[in-house]
Amino acid sequence: MTMSVDRRAVLAGLGASASLPLLGSLSRPAAAAGETISYTAWSAAVDQVQSHIHAFEKASGIAVRYENFPGAQFRASLVTKFTSNEPLDLIWMNDAWTPEFAEAGWITPIDDVPQLMAYNADVQKYCTDAMRYKGRQYGLVYYTDHMSFMYNKEMLDKAGFEKPPATWDEVVQQGLKLKQMGLAEYPLMLALTADAWLIEMIGPFVYSFGGTYTDPAGLSTLRDPGNGALAAATWMRDAIHTHKIVSPGAVTTSEIDALKAFASGKSAFAILPSYRIRVLNDPAQAKVAGNIRINLMPAGSGAKAGNHTCGWVRYYGLTPHARATKAREAAVMKLMEWFGGKVDDKYVFQKMLLLDVGVPFCTKSLMQDTDVLAFYDKWAGGEGTILKQSSMAITKDVISPWFGEWNETNNQSWQSVFLNQSTPAAGLAASGDKWNQLKKQFG
Amino acid sequence: MTATSSPPAERGVAALARPRFSPRAPSHDERQALILLAPLLIVLAVVAVFPIIYSFYTSLFDINLARPLRQPFVWFDNYVRMLGEPRIQIALWRTAVFTVVTVAGTTLAALVVALFLNETFRGRRILAILLLVPWATPSVVNGLMWKWIYDSNYGVLNGLLQALGLIDNYKIWLADPDKTLYLIANAAIWKQMPLSAILLLVTMKSIPEDLYKAARVDGANVVQRFLNVTLPALRPGLMLVLVYETMISIRHFDLFMLLTQGGPGNASSTLSWQIYVETFRSLRFGTGSALAYILAFLTLILGALMIRLGWRREAR
Repeated sequence: MTMSVDRRAVLAGLGASASLPLLGSLSRPAAAAGETISYTAWSAAVDQVQSHIHAFEKASGIAVRYENFPGAQFRASLVTKFTSNEPLDLIWMNDAWTPEFAEAGWITPIDDVPQLMAYNADVQKYCTDAMRYKGRQYGLVYYTDHMSFMYNKEMLDKAGFEKPPATWDEVVQQGLKLKQMGLAEYPLMLALTADAWLIEMIGPFVYSFGGTYTDPAGLSTLRDPGNGALAAATWMRDAIHTHKIVSPGAVTTSEIDALKAFASGKSAFAILPSYRIRVLNDPAQAKVAGNIRINLMPAGSGAKAGNHTCGWVRYYGLTPHARATKAREAAVMKLMEWFGGKVDDKYVFQKMLLLDVGVPFCTKSLMQDTDVLAFYDKWAGGEGTILKQSSMAITKDVISPWFGEWNETNNQSWQSVFLNQSTPAAGLAASGDKWNQLKKQFG
Repeated sequence: MTATSSPPAERGVAALARPRFSPRAPSHDERQALILLAPLLIVLAVVAVFPIIYSFYTSLFDINLARPLRQPFVWFDNYVRMLGEPRIQIALWRTAVFTVVTVAGTTLAALVVALFLNETFRGRRILAILLLVPWATPSVVNGLMWKWIYDSNYGVLNGLLQALGLIDNYKIWLADPDKTLYLIANAAIWKQMPLSAILLLVTMKSIPEDLYKAARVDGANVVQRFLNVTLPALRPGLMLVLVYETMISIRHFDLFMLLTQGGPGNASSTLSWQIYVETFRSLRFGTGSALAYILAFLTLILGALMIRLGWRREAR
């Protein structure tokens, strides 16, 4: 059978396909007649973001183009888009990128918008501090979290421990007994692969040993023999190679791999973001559900040691393109508030993120919400420890325009210590020297 | 038509009198060909020639995308700086080790497989088709498959070795910096070997049977027939496999990305991985482009040397 295709049929087909986008646009909200604004994020809480965007489009009549990229490639994707002048409006930001992006002129301050700045009164101070650079504020908080010390209560009960370890020395003692009893081959689960998470995985050790990366003048302290960072690196190396309570495979373990392994009951302790507690205590997702508890980060030795951990903030940033015209600026500000602020006088999205995904927030008033308290009771056995740990979280003291470049060297330096290829002092010195070199280079 | 009808001697004189590279108006056929080829040439210029030239131009600047306002022209400073950096020297060494191991492993394995398939036995054709499966598997799938095989918790390698009684406990294969590069090379050999085996098999099929008959008459055994008949006749195919595999191995990237990301530490940090890190993680497009050119030159020089050496021996 042969098909005859005449010119008229082809033209009709072309016309029909050309009209498809038009039909698509008709189904959009009314204000799509105006400009579409963009919302760029990493691939997290995608369902929640999409549903909240749909609600925004319906309520405001403003069309939003939402796109997301994997977290590991997000920074590079954003930078590529900015350098090729792609028109972005609202972006998810990592607090570590603020100086770099601000210096490059890719994000713009919001401190001239009283409506948005009013939220600061209800936000924890360290969160607003994390969004500031050279005295200017660059966004509204998306979420905040910190690394938590989690333990498997059932396993500790079997080993006869009444309390979880309060110091890193106790972690070694309990770990060795758990190992001896055959309850866990490697009792402490760590994710030490050289990716974007590594600095936040090392952070709890550095800060709980009273260490720092930089001094008040911004110079590296990693060569200082009295720095707690050196004690932290030594402890971590010994945990892997001397005590063998941490698997040597940690150097190839990502955060998600560590979560899965801990969820399957392979270890007694783990350091993970606190928002993972929801997954770990969900019977549908974890074998160990109901047995995972959070304790304060064990303290290291030394005068400045304490139960500190590493905290971070992610926020909604605004690009200069968003403020190109008054109409666009108003639309993007509205979208930013819809996500980072209140909707009908309620923090809808922040609450949704916590209840659906377990992601914590910075908003003080929301911490008294009955649903929020019930969430912590259900998943984390009460929110007291999480909030106490949150107040002891330290944001990375390496946030600078050269952070991304330096972190490549830093990751490799710490990994060389974990692999016993270099001494803790030599590994940290290499990282510190790179820091000082970049600081000098960037002026 | 006058030009073609003139006597040969006259044409020779006229040719001598003309300047050697005088411009000549293209003939009708040549013009037609040029018009037909134009779209392809334009596409090639846009997608291949321009990026090649532009990346070289980029390699002469100190470009960091995170510092868009400061991009000084630095001549060949990026090349000098990169070659002087210890991590790049380590990466060059690892690239050399990986290339040698992969090319040697692939060629030897391909030779054995080709010799086996050159024999006559039932199911030979099906086996030859099945052999191509690893080669036809997409690189990403291959990488993920080997990641699972090597996994320290549920990997089939650990399961197999333990079942055979060769290991007591599961090993954390990819976390061992002394083994990582070789494990990645093993995965690369598995993927690259089939095509090489087919190329060698095709060359083997072209060896005249008479040569083997003559060798048998002379009393040559299997090994002697292989060394004196098969191997010399295989030289063109082997050269092709060696050059092709070297070009592929020296630039290998996907397995490093999927299996180890250059780690643990810098145990699997090759030149191609450093290009990725420099360009897409550190966002230094200037030094990234310089490294890419260094790799391209190395590949070119190595390929040219191998072809030249092989051609000389062939000529002898």
